[in-house]
Amino acid sequence: MGIISVENSDRLFWLGRYSERVYTSARLFADSFDKMIDMDVENYAVFCTQLDIPNIYHSREDFCQRYINDGDDPNSIYSNLMRAYDNAIVLRNEIGSEPIAYIQLCVYDMNRNRTASAPIVGLQKIIDNLLAFWGIVDDMIENENIRNIIKTGKRIERLDLYGRLQAERDSINREISRLSGRITKTNLHYDESKLCKLRELAGQESIDYDEVVELADTLLQD
Amino acid sequence: MKNLRFHYHMEILFSQPVHSHTYTLKCLPITTDTQQIKACEYRIYPAGKVQESYDSFGNRMLYGTEKGEHTRFQVDVTGQAVTGICGMERQKEKTDISIYKYQTPLTRPQEQIGQLFLNCRRQADFAGMSLEEKVRFYMETVQRHLTYDKGSTSIDTTAEEALALGRGVCQDYAHVMLSLCREDRIPARYVVGMLMGEGESHAWVEIFDGAEWRGYDPTNNLVVGDSHIKISHGRDYSDCSINRGVFTGPAKQSQSIWAEVSEI
Amino acid sequence: MKDFELTRQSETVNELLARYGVKFGIYKNNEFREQLFPFDTIPRVIGKEEFSFLEKGLKQRVTALNCFIRDIYGEKKIIKDKVVPEEFVYISSGYLAACDGVVPPKGIYTHIAGIDLVQGKNKEWYILEDNLRVPSGASYPMIAREICRRSSPDTFESNHIEDNRDYTKMLRAMMDYSNTGGHTVILTPGRYNAAYFEHSYFAEKTGAHLATGSELTVEDDYLYFIDYSGRKEKVGAVYRRISDEYLDPMTFNEESVIGIPNIFDVYRKGHVALINAPGNGVADDKGIYFFVPKMIQYYLGENAILQNAPTYLPFYEEDMKYVLEHFDELVLKDVAEAGGYGVVFANKMTAREKEDFIKLLKKEPRRFIAQEVIDFMDIDILEDGIRKPRKADLRAFVLMADEPMVWKSGLTRFSRNPDSFIVNSSQGGGFKDTWVLSQ
Repeated sequence: MGIISVENSDRLFWLGRYSERVYTSARLFADSFDKMIDMDVENYAVFCTQLDIPNIYHSREDFCQRYINDGDDPNSIYSNLMRAYDNAIVLRNEIGSEPIAYIQLCVYDMNRNRTASAPIVGLQKIIDNLLAFWGIVDDMIENENIRNIIKTGKRIERLDLYGRLQAERDSINREISRLSGRITKTNLHYDESKLCKLRELAGQESIDYDEVVELADTLLQD
Repeated sequence: MKNLRFHYHMEILFSQPVHSHTYTLKCLPITTDTQQIKACEYRIYPAGKVQESYDSFGNRMLYGTEKGEHTRFQVDVTGQAVTGICGMERQKEKTDISIYKYQTPLTRPQEQIGQLFLNCRRQADFAGMSLEEKVRFYMETVQRHLTYDKGSTSIDTTAEEALALGRGVCQDYAHVMLSLCREDRIPARYVVGMLMGEGESHAWVEIFDGAEWRGYDPTNNLVVGDSHIKISHGRDYSDCSINRGVFTGPAKQSQSIWAEVSEI
Repeated sequence: MKDFELTRQSETVNELLARYGVKFGIYKNNEFREQLFPFDTIPRVIGKEEFSFLEKGLKQRVTALNCFIRDIYGEKKIIKDKVVPEEFVYISSGYLAACDGVVPPKGIYTHIAGIDLVQGKNKEWYILEDNLRVPSGASYPMIAREICRRSSPDTFESNHIEDNRDYTKMLRAMMDYSNTGGHTVILTPGRYNAAYFEHSYFAEKTGAHLATGSELTVEDDYLYFIDYSGRKEKVGAVYRRISDEYLDPMTFNEESVIGIPNIFDVYRKGHVALINAPGNGVADDKGIYFFVPKMIQYYLGENAILQNAPTYLPFYEEDMKYVLEHFDELVLKDVAEAGGYGVVFANKMTAREKEDFIKLLKKEPRRFIAQEVIDFMDIDILEDGIRKPRKADLRAFVLMADEPMVWKSGLTRFSRNPDSFIVNSSQGGGFKDTWVLSQ
């Protein structure tokens, strides 16, 4: 019926953020894991610093286990996936059963992956399902507003992650322009001046990453 | 017959600002066979749009929502009443009196009231009593078993609990009396109102004698006459609460009430 | 029964059910968990003629129940004529004095009735229970059908089965009929409710809006939904999946945080339809159940087409005598309990329990009903690929618009425990699809 409550617009936004967080952190983990196999066993410390999460891990094995699967670790992929799921499950009315099914499948895959010795293979399934989720969001959700809110969440999350990772200027530029193209199509309350500031930052030679992250996280207003 | 002037005042102070405050008030006396209400006015603070309606018991209701932040909620009702026009209130045809025959969660007897009721029945002359005599007898029984003690009970106290405690306020007196009458299958209802010289809102009961309702005030052990102004009635306290409210905000609330009734 | 190709697809079907999150929530040790609702692929099959008999009986029953509720909150003729003793009405927890004199839009109280039936070994159907408050479960066979058709198209090509996926269309038509003007909302207590899946699924399929109490607000005696940009939309029908007592803290339980303050006042003024109508629980009370055949006679002047399970009311002296004499053969039900709780089989009691129970029964005769134990016709389920007979009941759904409509399917619940007669999902049972044959 096309009307979205405050609660649900918030959930749509966070569904976008958390599913993006799972997707990007799963891919980053895969890169880091590769290094940890035989090149840099303690690469997880770098990983934690880059993502700005506390390094609470004792060893490579501990990291691989807990960062992926530990429900008590608030930064784990599992915890973020469950946050995405908690938002998705209450949005059946807005986004439909088919998109939710892909988040549900991620949860099943995650649980199956718990004891795997080659975690990347299991994570690949989650990445596949998330890509399918994004595909079906585009394909099946007719309400433009709903699509735009989820994607605003996704774009803000990605910009936030890329900012933390100090990604290359081109990547940051691309994300800023994708975000500003998206957010202006929603009725979300956002800070116009911060969006301008982001566009400005994108044009500068050396990017102030801290400010990008700060602006991305505070762009939306309560 | 008396000409009375009344002023009911209720104030809730919140320790912190609250908002989205929805309230329902049953605080307006209505004209019945026994009383005529003239010039009744109400003021609610914060002032906003107020809706009016009647509940299924025939009580007049005011309700509304104050969205903005506030730290005080206040209701004042003023007016004049002619009381004691007649001793009884006729039963209008449509509504059924049966619901007043049965116990409610607040009046349901357990051991204490059960025993008290049995004791009443064992009274030597009980079998020969008329309905009115029985009711007076129940009222006196309540008097004998309860001591007026403000603060000893709360709005959730049941008749059984009050009797076990042996203490209570008008609400508890009324509940115990309702419980006894209903055990005897006498239709009895809870009444909220004001009483000359009381200082707060008051509660008593009305008994159905087969044709009409008559008021009894167990707290004061008297038949209701022209010193009482009735506001509402129901099966028990919960049907008649003067103020119900829900609000948003982590505030503590303190309520103060006074009622002034004086002869003109 | 011949083996359907479908029964060989059990694994595929259950995998797909899991994919779509067909679950219900339960609380164990105070912790909320979502659990898959186990599905058994062997359907309950009801022939065309047999179902049309059930259909007639169900329409008749629900029509009479609706008349009863309207009467109780209106003229109370059935009480005055002493067909139903007044204490059964006024002591019932489902009776709400606040509803007295309030007429719902179009006079409908029983918008959605879930009538539980069982079939005896003698092939006779018996009504076990009427569920009028917030009956749930129709979503499960509906989505199971969708998935079974995908998994085993051949089965559905060669059998002539009425499509049951029209339930949400019926639901929508029913809601539109009662709607007083405005949007249609499904009101849920939230995701930690046992039937949350169903609430959200119905919202998706009917196009109604799913909302929690905090998303709706009363203004000027109308109900509104407020969207995130502050726009107000009037609501004309609320299919509420929360019980009466929590619906409105200003009229019912003051502590309720899942309801909508003053929604009852909007309803009283006829500005919104509440589906189902508050107070209709007075008619699905286990004690009132005894009187339903008498109601059918009283309001419709007809004999009941569908029979009750033989029931005794210890409230009546002669019934009490019978119950005490035949105690061991009976099942006793506490009228205040629901969901399979408060049901005891006398032959399973120890001597001590029996003694205590009889004492309680004598003290509070109004609180219990006693029924003959019906010898259920078992239905096969598949357990590790082997067919095993189990107890099962059928919940039929009747929707009320200008005419009652019976859904050509139903929720068949079975007990996984071979010795148990209790089939509720909250007690670990599973479900089956219910096929109504079209030829």
